[in-house]
Amino acid sequence: MLTDKVQFNAPIPGESLTAELGGRPWQTPPKLATVDEAIDYYMERMSSEDFMEQVVDVLESGVPVATIANTLQLASVMDGIHTVDVGTLVVPVIMEMMMLLADSADIEYKTGLEEEKEEITDSKIAKAVSKYKKSVKESDIAKPKEVETKEEPEVEDEPAGLMARRK
Amino acid sequence: MSRQYNPAIDAYKNMDIENMPADKKEPAGTGLLMRKSSSEESGLDVSNPLIRVAKNMQVIRQYRQEAKDANG
Repeated sequence: MLTDKVQFNAPIPGESLTAELGGRPWQTPPKLATVDEAIDYYMERMSSEDFMEQVVDVLESGVPVATIANTLQLASVMDGIHTVDVGTLVVPVIMEMMMLLADSADIEYKTGLEEEKEEITDSKIAKAVSKYKKSVKESDIAKPKEVETKEEPEVEDEPAGLMARRK
Repeated sequence: MSRQYNPAIDAYKNMDIENMPADKKEPAGTGLLMRKSSSEESGLDVSNPLIRVAKNMQVIRQYRQEAKDANG
């Protein structure tokens, strides 16, 4: 959607480097250094009643498990709880645990592992049509149509005047 | 939903826990000459964090299966 207001609130290139080195949580040593510690941390966190209720609500609304799990581990990386590599290693356990919560609550949910069916939208159709038209035009320019001219046999006009010779 | 690349999907799909070799449980020996660990014989390197993650997943999946069976 186009809005009247032009937005200029995107970060300026290099803006992320303006903070003091070590001033961000992810630039400091992580609180949990190993995979086991990280697993224990998530297990404890995910076992709370509040977390369970929230996750089940979000899953029920159609958000895939993989998306929530990735968001969760990225948030922990940003908070300086663990590193990116530990987060990537732990994410399958988080996903499995979320699926366990969803299965226990007996709800229908998306895992995010399903193959996405490619939707045919109007914009895709319009794009395909314009591409086709363009290719047709280009082929027309490249190969100009040869106008077929049939050579008609010359028919001699028979003289019809009074002075014409008779056959 | 978003079509953005999600590393969690690949990380999960690459965890082939169904085909992971199971730990051999040896009868507990009490003698001085008993073998210490069976982890090396079964081919599982427990010092590898990925193996430990897979083991955790196996346990949770077992609970999941039980939850599914209970729900019908």
